[in-house]
Amino acid sequence: MFTLPQKDFRAPTTCLGPTCTQDLGSSHGDDLEGECSRKLDQKLPELCGVGDPATISSDTSYLSSRGRMIKWFWDSAEEGYRTYHMDEYDEDKNHSGIINLGTSENKLCFDLLSWRLSQSDMQRVEPSLLQYADWRGHLFLREEVAKFLSFYCKSPVPLRPENVVVLNGGASLFSALATVLCEAGEAFLIPTPYYGAITQHMCLYGNVRLAYVYLDSEVTGLDTRPFQLTVEKLEMALREAHSESIKVKGLILINPQNPLGDIYSLEELQEYLVFAKRHRLHVIVDEVYMLSVFEESVGYHSVLSLERLPDPQRTHVMWATSKDFGMSGLRFGTLYTENQDVATAVASLCRYHGLSGLVQYQMAQLLRDRDWINQVYLPENHARLKAAHTYVSEELRALGIPFLSRGAGFFIWVDLRKYLPKGTFEEEMLLWRRFLDNKVLLSFGKAFECKEPGWFRFVFSDQAHRLCLGMQRVRQVLAGKSQVAEDPRPSQSQEPSDQHR
Amino acid sequence: MSHRSDTLPVPSGQRRGQVPRDHSIYIQLLEITLHLQQAMTEHFVQLTSRQGLSLEERRHTEAICEHEALLSRLICRMINLLQSGATSGLELQVPLPSEDSRGDVRYGQRAQLSGQPDPVPQLSDCEPAFVSRDLSNRGIDISVFYQSSFQDYNAYQKDKYHKDKNTLGFINLGTSENKLCMDLMTERLQQSDMNCIEDTLLQYPDWRGQPFLREEVARFLTYYCRAPTQLDPENVVVLNGYCSVFSALAMVLCDPGEGFLVPAPFYGGFAFSSRLYAKVELIPVHLESEVTVTNTHPFQLTVDKLEEALLEARLEGKKVRGLVLINPQNPLGDIYSPDSLMKYLEFAKRYNLHVIIDEIYMLSVFDESITFHSVLSMKSLPDSNRTHVIWGTSKDFGISGFRFGALYTHNKEVASAVSAFGYLHSISGIAQHKLCQLLQNTEWIDKVYLPTNCYRLREAHKYITAELKALEIPFHNRSSGLYVWINLKKYLDPCTFEEERLLYCRFLKNKLLLSCGKTYMCKEPGWFRLIFADELPRLKLAMRRFCDVLQEQKEALIVKQLEDAMRE
Repeated sequence: MFTLPQKDFRAPTTCLGPTCTQDLGSSHGDDLEGECSRKLDQKLPELCGVGDPATISSDTSYLSSRGRMIKWFWDSAEEGYRTYHMDEYDEDKNHSGIINLGTSENKLCFDLLSWRLSQSDMQRVEPSLLQYADWRGHLFLREEVAKFLSFYCKSPVPLRPENVVVLNGGASLFSALATVLCEAGEAFLIPTPYYGAITQHMCLYGNVRLAYVYLDSEVTGLDTRPFQLTVEKLEMALREAHSESIKVKGLILINPQNPLGDIYSLEELQEYLVFAKRHRLHVIVDEVYMLSVFEESVGYHSVLSLERLPDPQRTHVMWATSKDFGMSGLRFGTLYTENQDVATAVASLCRYHGLSGLVQYQMAQLLRDRDWINQVYLPENHARLKAAHTYVSEELRALGIPFLSRGAGFFIWVDLRKYLPKGTFEEEMLLWRRFLDNKVLLSFGKAFECKEPGWFRFVFSDQAHRLCLGMQRVRQVLAGKSQVAEDPRPSQSQEPSDQHR
Repeated sequence: MSHRSDTLPVPSGQRRGQVPRDHSIYIQLLEITLHLQQAMTEHFVQLTSRQGLSLEERRHTEAICEHEALLSRLICRMINLLQSGATSGLELQVPLPSEDSRGDVRYGQRAQLSGQPDPVPQLSDCEPAFVSRDLSNRGIDISVFYQSSFQDYNAYQKDKYHKDKNTLGFINLGTSENKLCMDLMTERLQQSDMNCIEDTLLQYPDWRGQPFLREEVARFLTYYCRAPTQLDPENVVVLNGYCSVFSALAMVLCDPGEGFLVPAPFYGGFAFSSRLYAKVELIPVHLESEVTVTNTHPFQLTVDKLEEALLEARLEGKKVRGLVLINPQNPLGDIYSPDSLMKYLEFAKRYNLHVIIDEIYMLSVFDESITFHSVLSMKSLPDSNRTHVIWGTSKDFGISGFRFGALYTHNKEVASAVSAFGYLHSISGIAQHKLCQLLQNTEWIDKVYLPTNCYRLREAHKYITAELKALEIPFHNRSSGLYVWINLKKYLDPCTFEEERLLYCRFLKNKLLLSCGKTYMCKEPGWFRLIFADELPRLKLAMRRFCDVLQEQKEALIVKQLEDAMRE
């Protein structure tokens, strides 16, 4: 069912291990996560750690064995990527093109951002911006980041520029942290469902795995909500990893969570951090959606707002402008850690993850402009997010489809289980494919390593006309789906790549 | 079960639950090691705090420091290993001294990685050697490697010379940057065509680079490399810097432990880039300065030498996957003739080796009588599927802070594998737009930028070489790149890498940053690379400091010879 793009490439033969067999190929943001899951039954080679022997044999390849595997990841994502980009919906030129409700991008505020970034204060060019600089990021930017985070994370004390490292995006930061905190083959705990692209970020250079903390939709025991993360579940996952001789070095928390849109309460956050401290685990807290909490009643707490961190030397916070400022193409991400050893080690890799000096200057200008952010950007952005969210959730309610969403992020976690008669991941993928065939791209649960088949992530942060059309196409599929649900032979043979090449 | 000795003079933390026997051993070992570590540090502090005045004693102290650094690293690795052993049990917490991990496992300010350029003793702000229990072993390696390679550069960053504000600051003739055309570049980048914010620039990009930029790069390279046919944008991958391109290539062409041949001396950044992530070894093909029957010019690269190095590497059991060529060469400034280039490529083809050609200085050839031949100008490549070209704007346009590097390869397999690294080495959409505008404007490049740049490079080169001649310092006289490769052998007695390092430190002490031959894996001690692409007033001051140091060194040599004579 999965066709390899190159004829001369032989499928790798050994298994990657229990932790990362899926969605490694989702290299384009987090879109097309589903695309990669067609590799489900495909075996992957052991990632090459230092000194690991080559496991893939291929006489015709020009690449090393790890190179072949890297390319294989890329191609599988590339294929889907091409599909979407060769047939992108365009209001004027391509009405029948694909609507992308799969990539978590905020497309609601380009007007505001273009305006801001075109202001004259953004156009400064000076020699120091064009030359080699501090690899941690220009000091002026790190100072701005520290001030910005102190303010928006409500830090009890002013944060320090020395603890800031600036890189070209969150992906690079995951990669660098994985490399400096773990040996090859070691692991980080992560509650699932989670933003699947992290797997590849951790893996590509670092060869670090993820050990899953599986969460359920069913509310049981002391849980108060679906997919609730508890310390018991963390403990259990850690024990399990140990029993499989997987060495766990840390825990990844995404807050606000992607794809659930969950927000951890102060108490929960504290409990998770204490758990990590107990086991001497590093905690990477990804707060990339922290300013995208559009429901005012939801109280968001950054980990940096805690009076006292249980283990400050092992708590590493990341933030970026990709989501909160809707600029995934700008490539700006930042680390905040009190641990100077970690900051320095990450900075040592920054030569490879550097950001243009001119863009660093622009970012400093942007983050400094508190008036514009507070009075123009954030209120408008939240209002637009809320309106889009309301629209999609109303649509779902009208269809009688259950979903989870707590007023943060760009997405709704949608329960389409009732459309899967047998409740299998195969059916989930077929449904996803049917959506794609009907020109709407979504992400499905398996790509987030969700335990239960049938969950989908809908991104709603798009312009109304595209959103309406997207939802219309979703409705069509679901309506048709109920009629063909018993058909055992769905349109499996239709690879999108064949249609559009 | 766990008979942890309470008499050990190491403060211990809390421990929960029962500890399996083997873990208790780990913990005890860990405690003992930590204790040993502490004792060792104290011992070294005592050893090195004696203020020796004579050269002899100073050298002795430096040797001790090196040993200390070496031991520190070893012991730190032990601690990490022990700790990982000790924490692999679930129910225990390892007792470690002080909950605040900062400071306790670190070493004194003087600890240095052995074999690395020593810091100047009076640089009080120089970073201590890197030891941490929060990092993985490879994390420690990366930090140590980075700090030892860049600590002097970081010292320079903190204390840069400024003609009004900091006249005693460092002058950097060590980092290869072209600072001669900042006025032109600043003006160009401020023009209105540079400022464009479109939605697509703010969204997730094509990870190989925006199509408009890849098209422009293909067009640009077709024109400036004089490609016989139009180059294909599909063969272009754009990343944030040519080191990133090199790192990604090393990842996809080699497995860990495999290697590339590189004629030495060569640009040290590649050693860094291949080691940091990819764990690929660069195997030097040693070239010699002496002219002989077979070596018709200094540091000549011949196929025989390549063959020999390849054979030797294979005998040592190394797997060689490719050859790295830098053209124009860094640090020599040599330019390969089309004939020699062809021979090297044919050699590579014969052994199925990839060839990575770094042409990052291709537009920095400042003698009009010399023609640079890009590998892309060849009618037919011996092995086009194994030939990969790297270029970037850092050197030729003097904008190293812009972070732009490009790969051109006919091999689609390699191009797509490198693309997988696109999101880890991506360039901001806004910067991609500016780069596209810059490369597009051939008229400005041809009529304004290149002539001015070449003229200024030529003038600066003329000044520096005249100074060197006056000082009777031999140098490799070439007309490309931003540097001269100079020979200070006569200032070393004995002529060793250790002496080379000490001379380097003497320059540093006098606030002059150069790079020494060792970092280029040069076989012969005494060579230095001097960057001349700097503004004349700074260059003049730098040369004054340079002369002072050499004078100082000369006097020290005399004193030393006298001392030696008296001992006999």
